[in-house]
Amino acid sequence: MAQLSLQHIDKIYDNNVQAVFDFNLDVKDGELIVLVGPSGCGKSTTLRMVAGLEDISAGHLLLDGKDITQTPAKDRDMAMVFQNYALYGHMTIYENMAFSLTLRKEDPNVIHKKVLAAAEVLGLTSQLNKKPSQLSGGQRQRVAMGRSIVRNPKVFLFDEPLSNLDAKLRGATRREILLLHKRLGATMLYVTHDQTEALTLADRIVCMSMGHVQQVGTPLELYDKPANLFVASFIGLPPMNFFDVKVDAGKLVHDEFSLELTPEQKETLKDYNGKEITLGVRPEDIVAGGEIPVHVFSNENLGMNTLVHGHLGNTNTPKNKITAKLRGWCDYKEGDDIKVSFKTMHFFDKETTNAIRKGDN
Amino acid sequence: MTSEEKTIQRDRMRFTKNKASSGLALLAILLNVFYFVSIYKSDVGTYYYTILIGASIIYNLVFMLAVFLCSEGVKNYKASFGYAMIVIGALQIIRIFILPMHASKATIVIKEVETIVMGPGQFTRLLVYLIASAACLIAGGIIAIYKSRELAQHEAALEQKAA
Repeated sequence: MAQLSLQHIDKIYDNNVQAVFDFNLDVKDGELIVLVGPSGCGKSTTLRMVAGLEDISAGHLLLDGKDITQTPAKDRDMAMVFQNYALYGHMTIYENMAFSLTLRKEDPNVIHKKVLAAAEVLGLTSQLNKKPSQLSGGQRQRVAMGRSIVRNPKVFLFDEPLSNLDAKLRGATRREILLLHKRLGATMLYVTHDQTEALTLADRIVCMSMGHVQQVGTPLELYDKPANLFVASFIGLPPMNFFDVKVDAGKLVHDEFSLELTPEQKETLKDYNGKEITLGVRPEDIVAGGEIPVHVFSNENLGMNTLVHGHLGNTNTPKNKITAKLRGWCDYKEGDDIKVSFKTMHFFDKETTNAIRKGDN
Repeated sequence: MTSEEKTIQRDRMRFTKNKASSGLALLAILLNVFYFVSIYKSDVGTYYYTILIGASIIYNLVFMLAVFLCSEGVKNYKASFGYAMIVIGALQIIRIFILPMHASKATIVIKEVETIVMGPGQFTRLLVYLIASAACLIAGGIIAIYKSRELAQHEAALEQKAA
């Protein structure tokens, strides 16, 4: 397998629209990297540049230390799995999987062995004589993966491979991809807009927005220590709640509440005394009981948890909206006034939107 | 070829089509078309104006349909279509002795001049088309029968192994 290095990669289209800005990433051998971000953030463009399907406007792409920036796609030894499977409808599954090797004029007996081995791994042995139209979406996606596996490429590239599947199948196929990654130990680059996929699959996540890398880190790092407001709002479901608060003499002051800071938090926010910052609280870090008043306007029971939507105090403004994911089954009614407290808080600079952490200043 | 390679080759047949037989059948159709468009000439008066021309046209249509069906059948290792191809191939040989052979020996008087209906050049060309077409059909049929037997044996062995 292989190490991949993206160095200062830019993508500027002919109409001078820049889709990717100074993308830097080192992918270790056997690592599964997930590029995540909203539509139009440049993640697929980056993947296509790695695959060789898009020209790289500036920067260098290195595979095992060798510069492949100008190498044509067919010579890059990478296999790509597309969202729409890209299977040949008139060919059987066996022929689809064998196709790339046939084009390379490999020995038919060797091709046969490779196809059977890949089909065995993917549980497709009994489907080999069928046409793609006779398979389910999940099976088709497995065929697309099988077509990549038989080539034994240095790097696997996945471009939103699960987007066409229903939720149940998506979960099952996601687990299959994870198992496959463990079994093959392959270097993989995976693009998705689904944060659940990113968090469950990735060794490391690259979070992107507007063509810029916002943060690179393990799923836990992105969840626990988001680098900025964008990452904090993008990672986590339901998304993080944000409130404008003022740091005032060891307290966080909001129109509806005031919170005493711990010594550690005081140390973190020492340079912000008297200034406004953004307070971020994940819905799952909100617990029932405390000092913060919430006026409930809807209650969604999910079995183990209850999603409570409301606003702080009596002021119903967008800035005061709050979603809490409370443990257990709660039966709050619209109009109920409850009290909550925050277990964990995240602080963000209002101007730069970057996270405020101890030792940052 | 080692026995393992032979086994893999047989196993491949479970997932691949018999393109050799099918291709030979399609080639036979093409050669027959060459034969068909080369045989009739307009400068030999009314020589061909008999029931034979109608029968010949119908036979050619049936031939093309039958061989096309055979090509699809043998593609999927169906031995019966292989036998049919051999029979149709034999009929192609017999056809040599019907129209081309008679026409090559026949003369016709046009404007009081005795004219040869089919010259030796044309006759040889037609002979080549028909023989080549027959050879393709017979070879394709034999390959199809051989491969379908091999595949049947291999599948039986696999079933036995699984049991």
